[in-house]
Amino acid sequence: MNQSHIARPTRKDLMDGICSRWPGMEANTRIEEDGSALITCDIATLRELCEWLFCENNYAFATLIVEDEEADWLFRYIFYGDAEVGVVHVCMKQPKSNTVAPSISAGVHAADWHEREVEDLFGISFEGHPRLGDFVLHEEWPEGVNPMKKDFDASKPYMHRQVDPEWRPLRILEAQGAFMMPIGPVYSDYAEACQFFLETVGEDVVRTTPRIFYKFRGVEKLAENQPVERVLLMAERFSGASAFAHSLAFCRAVEKISGLEPPPRGQVLRVLFAELERLRHHVGAIAGICGSTALAVATSQASILEEELLRLSCIMSGHRYLFGVNRPGGISIDVTSDQCKMLGDSVRSIASDLKNLFDMLRLSSSFLDRIEEVGIVSTENALSYGLVGPVARGSGIARDLRNILPYGPYKSQIACQTALETEGDGYARLRVLFREAEESANIICRLSSELPPGDVASPEFRLKAGQALGWVEAPLGAAFHWVSIGEEGAVKRYRVTPPSFMNWHGFHLAAENFAFQDFPIVMATFGLSNAECDR
Amino acid sequence: MIDVSMLLFLFMATCAVGAALAVVLPDRMNLVVQTVVGIVASAIALAASGAVLLLGLSFDINLWRLPGLGPISLHMDRISALFVFVTALVYLPISLFSVEYMEKYVGRYSIKFFGFFSHLLFASIVLTLAAGDVASFLFAWELMTILSYLLVTYEHREEEVTSAGYLLLSMSEVGTFAAALGLLIIAGSADNLSFSALRNASSGIGEAARWGVFLLTFFGFGVKAGLIPGSSWLPRAHPAAPANCSAVLSGVILNLGIYGIVRVNADLLPASHASQGIVALIVGSLSALIGILYATIDNDMKRMLAHSSIENMGIITACLGAGFVFLASGQSALAGIAFVVAFYHTVNHSLYKALLFLGAGAVDSKVGGRNMNRFGGLIKRMPWTSAWFLIGALSIAALPPFNGFVTEWLTLQTLLQSAVLSAKGLKIAFALCGAMLALTAALAVTCFVKAYGMSFLGMPRSKAAESAAEAKSPTIVSMAMLAALCFIFGITPTYVIPVIDGAVSPVVHQSVTDELVPPFFSGNKTKNPKFSDAFMAEFHDLGAQVGSSVLPGRGLVVLHQGTARNPVIFAMSTSYTFVVLAILIIGSVLVIRLLFRNRVVLRKPVWDGGIRRLFPEMTYTATGFSNPVRVIFEAIFRPSMSENTRETISGHFRTAIRNGREETYVVDRALVNPLIRSSQWLAGLIGLIHSARVNAYAGYVLLTLLAFLVIQTLI
Amino acid sequence: MSKWVLLGIRSGTKTTRYPSHTESAAGISPGRPKDTLMADKNAQALIRDLCPTGALNPKNDRIAVDYRRCISCRRCARGASTLVDWEESWEWASLSAPDLNASSALGSPFSQSLHIRVLDAGACRACLSEIEQLGKPYYNIHRLGFFMTPTPRHADVLLVAGPVADNMRLPLEKAYDAMPTPKRVVAVGACALSGGVFGPSFTSYGSLKNVIPVDVEIPGCPPPPLAIIHGLLVLTGRRPPAESGATSFLDRRSGT
Repeated sequence: MNQSHIARPTRKDLMDGICSRWPGMEANTRIEEDGSALITCDIATLRELCEWLFCENNYAFATLIVEDEEADWLFRYIFYGDAEVGVVHVCMKQPKSNTVAPSISAGVHAADWHEREVEDLFGISFEGHPRLGDFVLHEEWPEGVNPMKKDFDASKPYMHRQVDPEWRPLRILEAQGAFMMPIGPVYSDYAEACQFFLETVGEDVVRTTPRIFYKFRGVEKLAENQPVERVLLMAERFSGASAFAHSLAFCRAVEKISGLEPPPRGQVLRVLFAELERLRHHVGAIAGICGSTALAVATSQASILEEELLRLSCIMSGHRYLFGVNRPGGISIDVTSDQCKMLGDSVRSIASDLKNLFDMLRLSSSFLDRIEEVGIVSTENALSYGLVGPVARGSGIARDLRNILPYGPYKSQIACQTALETEGDGYARLRVLFREAEESANIICRLSSELPPGDVASPEFRLKAGQALGWVEAPLGAAFHWVSIGEEGAVKRYRVTPPSFMNWHGFHLAAENFAFQDFPIVMATFGLSNAECDR
Repeated sequence: MIDVSMLLFLFMATCAVGAALAVVLPDRMNLVVQTVVGIVASAIALAASGAVLLLGLSFDINLWRLPGLGPISLHMDRISALFVFVTALVYLPISLFSVEYMEKYVGRYSIKFFGFFSHLLFASIVLTLAAGDVASFLFAWELMTILSYLLVTYEHREEEVTSAGYLLLSMSEVGTFAAALGLLIIAGSADNLSFSALRNASSGIGEAARWGVFLLTFFGFGVKAGLIPGSSWLPRAHPAAPANCSAVLSGVILNLGIYGIVRVNADLLPASHASQGIVALIVGSLSALIGILYATIDNDMKRMLAHSSIENMGIITACLGAGFVFLASGQSALAGIAFVVAFYHTVNHSLYKALLFLGAGAVDSKVGGRNMNRFGGLIKRMPWTSAWFLIGALSIAALPPFNGFVTEWLTLQTLLQSAVLSAKGLKIAFALCGAMLALTAALAVTCFVKAYGMSFLGMPRSKAAESAAEAKSPTIVSMAMLAALCFIFGITPTYVIPVIDGAVSPVVHQSVTDELVPPFFSGNKTKNPKFSDAFMAEFHDLGAQVGSSVLPGRGLVVLHQGTARNPVIFAMSTSYTFVVLAILIIGSVLVIRLLFRNRVVLRKPVWDGGIRRLFPEMTYTATGFSNPVRVIFEAIFRPSMSENTRETISGHFRTAIRNGREETYVVDRALVNPLIRSSQWLAGLIGLIHSARVNAYAGYVLLTLLAFLVIQTLI
Repeated sequence: MSKWVLLGIRSGTKTTRYPSHTESAAGISPGRPKDTLMADKNAQALIRDLCPTGALNPKNDRIAVDYRRCISCRRCARGASTLVDWEESWEWASLSAPDLNASSALGSPFSQSLHIRVLDAGACRACLSEIEQLGKPYYNIHRLGFFMTPTPRHADVLLVAGPVADNMRLPLEKAYDAMPTPKRVVAVGACALSGGVFGPSFTSYGSLKNVIPVDVEIPGCPPPPLAIIHGLLVLTGRRPPAESGATSFLDRRSGT
């Protein structure tokens, strides 16, 4: 049970804090019906306020949303924490003509990549940020073309082809004879497309710089002016390995806008499938870690379990990756009690196989040698970079959205143990994966025998206009979907912050001063997905 | 008939005329004339020394008889002739190289100065080698040292050049002083100062004096040869000097140190104690190892070649040491073999080191700079330079069929002959030093793979390397000459060894040609008293007679014969290797062309992971290549982390990580720096008497007077 | 170390025996819609609206399915709107241009020894995950002589998934260019065949055919591992392709 022994800061603490620091702001602060706080501020106080929330009040940074309105730019910074006021929105407005905003990355380093993304896609530069440019749009895109602006036509291919001849990768290591080894974007047997520059003087790799967004498909732009059913498909499929979780976050956001609550059976089944996906994802990650250390039998054992879980998912839902299960208002399939029993039995046996595997791995010193003390991320770095998911929990940050901002049955029916380790190395992350997998298996077994009867989805409803934030604890960490629906029932703005995006930011922390041969192991213990990050 | 003394006189005259012309001519014509004079002088010296070496003519002139110093004579025996031959052989291409290389100094430094002193240097070197008595030897030696100092500090406006020159001069003087002392100790028991008199006086010198002579001359001449502990000046002097001077320094002047050691300890006063040889062996092996270690990690091309010279001098000295041990143990045949190998290696080293320095000079003048990290891709832009440099690198890495392989093989074989020695300590020393030399050989390959690969292969890593142009014909021809010589000396060891043997046999009193080069290459199996019939037949059946109708004389194989206790035989033939290699390579090419004449070969760019463009900073650098060696031998290098900062702005944005490592030279650390510190301490102590008080100084005068009075009465 | 060996031996053999035997385990394939007789002729508009990618084409009295576009969302085959029949199959691979067959087969030297370079051109990770399962115990393509290679220089086949994101176009072309002939391209998944949900857009090329020539197409979203195996077998002429109706490769002369 995650009963925090520290008293949760209350709403009063938050309001008092704001009033004492910024007298006069009280008028701009209000608490919404769902318990979140909305603070409207101006440019001058933005940086201080965000740093106050992040550093002193221990709120984590969720996402930065920029919207291109007729006359203004709307900035929305979202923070969340383990307080009574769970989510805090800090909003700011700027006239269209002003394309310079203050950067909060110095104090809130987790916002670093968010600001770079906004700069590339919207053309807004953040004053004080030392490294804007060449992030989402690579060296072929000319300056001044920003896809997320309203006047950009997303349906046609953009004929830009103008390679910047002066572009060179950024070099950080200054030493005699230093050079950088480029890896990718096409490399290894099965790796996703991503590029790395490993800077070295010949022995250890001193610094790694990943270059992502090779798989940028522009989901946020493609979603504009599309009906909700279509955007649901995109939300599901931009990251196939955690499809259910992202579709769940999207559906929750839409349901919040329309004031809808799925029926109890639907909610419990959602949790069931979410935990099934988490279990399968973690088993796959464990197989990846064993594979990176070339422990063939362990890899095979984990892979066998992964395939069995894929088949199980297919039997339960008709699709191996749980595509097409979620929809606004509930889920689209129902399960029989026989299926539930079969599910419970299979997951039990898989869980016991997994436990055997863990026990054997724990005693395998050659395996442990390769993942212990490798890819260490310290707790302060993890906090200031805003890392999430098993990576953060392996570095001592006890944040799990199922406990901090519980949704659905997690609020009352199910209590999740947060798997927490403090060393921050590869072995810690592996242990977190195993414990979470075990926890997921327990939840599935329990729920499969306790399904409430009834419908699985609400009857047809009418979409209202509005905006809301949906969140979910995806297998890789906290995912936030911001949906804004317009008057005609089409999506006006869709913003996704996947957990991989936050964690790729911190990847270089683990990949510093290590031997080159450990690179696949560091990658595997992070277990990140480029498809999820690049959207 | 060839009159050697006439040739030598002609040589001196040429040098004098060249020096005179250099002073008066204007710059451009000066360069050409210098080159012509250099070539002519080299040719004459070649003829003169060749006559002595190959034809056995002798040269002996008594010049004057000075009061107090005795007869001043010039005498060229075969040892001197060999060294003069090598000098001239190397000087010829270097002179040709200078005509294009010195163009970069026109207008900046004085060409007249260069020509004047370089011709005089050549003359002084030959004088040193031809000196017949101690006085002229020392006089010519000093002249040579000073002239080499003047030429090394040619670029006298650079501070590091002048400080390198001072170090060279001061260490040379210390060495000269020690060597002179050694010579004079021998002279103390002789009638006069001539070398022949010294040779006769060797019987009257006691054990302790012999040791004194050995140590003084070995370490004294060792400074000039670049052996540790006197090697600190070499890595500084070579990068400071212009490339052609570095080639002379490495290919000629270092040999003079070896000449000095051999002249005293093998000829004038042969080593009498096996331990003396062991000292030489150990010093040589350590020099070799330390030299190659520092060469492997160095990225400055000329400093790397300087360290490599230390390594090669170490190998030569180790061989000499083995020779001394065998000589002292009565194994004169093996001693002869060891000396032959040492001299052969001297010749080889001069050839390939000069070639490599000329290559480095060509690259320096076309690309600018000596840092290998900034080269790359020169094989496309300077194909001829790269080809000849490759041959030099292959030779120095001791790969067949080039000359380095022959002497490296023979060195290791010679050290293996320690089985004949009786004392256990000697055998252990030989084994350890043999192991060190083997390690050295392996590291040498690494070093020159890096040197060639990083400089000539891959992508150009700087703008200067991208826009380099090929050197002009004089440079290319000079390097081609040396490369050809490397090759020739590699595939004809069976012809070179008898010539060198001619120089060695007076020292060990027997000819070792038969030991090394099998004498049974004629149609009928000649009988030779040294080898049993069974042995001859066996070797004959092995096919050693192949090619005897093609090549006259001694044939194709070099042989290292075992002894009664150790009857294993080792044979090597670079000529056979070359022929087989040529057949295999050409044959493979022909077969492949024939079999696959219908195949289409597509050439595509290198697969780089899909990156848009491979930048030069994404390729391996010289530092990266040699980093493993740097890390493994950290105890020797003791690098100091000069800079290790991480610069960030705004907390987490890392803008720069700076790493710097400085390696310290082990000889400096272990020897020179403590010496400097202790002498400074001593000086400080003595400086205490500088109290600047007049009364104290008056007191000193009084004390000194009293001391003299006391001593006066005592004597 | 021995305990790992024992564990491996105790686990037994899990590998499927396809293609020598049919595979009938549950959950190996999500299945796909098939050509169906239209029950209600007036539902044409409804059918077209139902499919988000336009894979269903009602024509005359049948509903034809364009498999290149189907993304397995099942909106046409669930609950109240079960308008299309569903088939539980997995042999879905077909040749991209059925009339160019003779030159498509790689030839007998490759049929038992094929090296594959997997290229991620913006795939969502479901296709990649299915491709990863190929090397794992349940499918183990090594037994068929198929291997993955990390460099296109050694590859015979380029297996591409994803809607060809703009930033991956140059790496894709370079990888294809770096492969020595004979070389073939297999497009895996709906995104590579038609752009899937992300379609041709300002940052995706949509279909792989727009960038490099494609030989074998494997539809599905994602195609299960057995479908990918079927595609590789079609490429090497060991199995007939789906829906082509052409004679199998086995009696065709193989060329390069």
